[in-house]
Amino acid sequence: MNVRRQLVRLTGLLPLALLLGAWELLASADDPYFPPPSSWWVAVRRLSELGTLLPAIRATAETFALALAVAVVAGSLLGLAIGALPAMRSVTSPLVEFSRTMPPPAVVPMAALLIGLGRTMAVTVVVFAAVWPIVLNTAEAVRSLPAVLLETARALHLSRRARITKVLGPALVPGLLLGVRVATPLCVIVTLLVEMLTGAPGIGSLLVQAQRNFISAQAFGLLIVVGIFGFLINTGVAALEQRVLRAWPPTARAR
Amino acid sequence: MARNLRHLNVGGIALLVALAALWQLAVGASLIDLDYLPAPTEVVQAGVEQVEAGALVTATLHTLGVALAAWLIALVLGVALGLLLGFSAAARMVFTTSVEVLRTLPVVAFVPVAVLVFGLSTRMEVVVAAWAALWPIVINTLGGVEAVPARLHEVAAVFRLSGARRIRSIVLPAAAPLILVGARLGLSFALIVAVVAEMIGNPQGLGHLVIRTQQALRTEAMFAGILVIGLLGVALNAALLALTARAAPDMFEPGKRS
Repeated sequence: MNVRRQLVRLTGLLPLALLLGAWELLASADDPYFPPPSSWWVAVRRLSELGTLLPAIRATAETFALALAVAVVAGSLLGLAIGALPAMRSVTSPLVEFSRTMPPPAVVPMAALLIGLGRTMAVTVVVFAAVWPIVLNTAEAVRSLPAVLLETARALHLSRRARITKVLGPALVPGLLLGVRVATPLCVIVTLLVEMLTGAPGIGSLLVQAQRNFISAQAFGLLIVVGIFGFLINTGVAALEQRVLRAWPPTARAR
Repeated sequence: MARNLRHLNVGGIALLVALAALWQLAVGASLIDLDYLPAPTEVVQAGVEQVEAGALVTATLHTLGVALAAWLIALVLGVALGLLLGFSAAARMVFTTSVEVLRTLPVVAFVPVAVLVFGLSTRMEVVVAAWAALWPIVINTLGGVEAVPARLHEVAAVFRLSGARRIRSIVLPAAAPLILVGARLGLSFALIVAVVAEMIGNPQGLGHLVIRTQQALRTEAMFAGILVIGLLGVALNAALLALTARAAPDMFEPGKRS
């Protein structure tokens, strides 16, 4: 059964493989618009030999990780406050709505002026874009907390610590993790975006450089690198999420 | 409208006003020592000047036009592709993984590639914005088709409805709520990517206006541009929500369309 499913998934790659195959056969090696896929590989290899590719990947990964960490901490705290206090929720909702629908590219020039170029600015912009799914999902988890859970905790005279680790944690963590799952690809995209717009070191600025120098094979190759990078990060975060959910007390799974 | 008024969030608006006042005071009393931070009044003034000069209006219309055009293209293609995937197990088998691979490629990374292929043009902008808007619409249409209750398909079979009729009268109305969610996501993606494309490639629209004014250090004009981009995002989202609320109820009333 599992083998069959894998086979079906591989069949699903067929159109993409055919497209790339046809591209490879039809495009001439020096086509300025649609360079053949084999030349993408050569172009990325050259970048890597020049020693620019790996540092760029590392820079992007660091900005991403830092931003996601800040977004998780800030987002869950803000989400807890908004979820627990109805007044807070109604007062902040227009501000949250505006910030949430604010297209991230518009935030970049503003942050660049106010904070100046650099990692602090990049992380700020990414957090500003990616924090909202975490805030909203955490707030929703708090709001839909069954009253009976809290009453039980009180009736059992649980200590504050036990209340947090045994009652609140298991009830709130799945919602928080849902927000993290939505925020992760956002973090990747906005990290790249900041690099593209400000030229901060990373894969995003390599891509824009390739475009400005009209090296299309490199641009296509870097697009694939970005795709693999995003895929690995999303799978990694999903695996981490599964581990956290499994490590938690069984109440977490009952929800 | 009356309902909207009753839902008016006084506290929320008060907070926004208070923040703006605080910002104004802080800049006015030079509490914030930032060379480039204009006061809100300066931003509004710059916005009014830009509107009078026509630059802001032209840029807004350009960005809005691109986002809507891209969204419409994505809507037609996305619903068609979603229906195809939803109806045909063969199509699902052949295409699903390819769709998954393409849609998870970070969309902003397509902009430089599109600039190389299509040049610094509005066509490039529409293509990347439509690409961004396409995937949530495909995925949500597919999800909507899969969520159509089997009972409805049985009804269609009993009435011997033709394929086209079945899609129009049964599948689309039942899948509409999910498709509309996809459409809403798609529209905000289209706007975001249009602004990115204007910042990196096409020298028109709000994205370019923001970059241009930033480089000229006309920060109050830049803030005005950013404010309009934010308002455009909120307005498009609200418009589509209102449209959904109006369109959805009579879509779901059984019998009304037959």
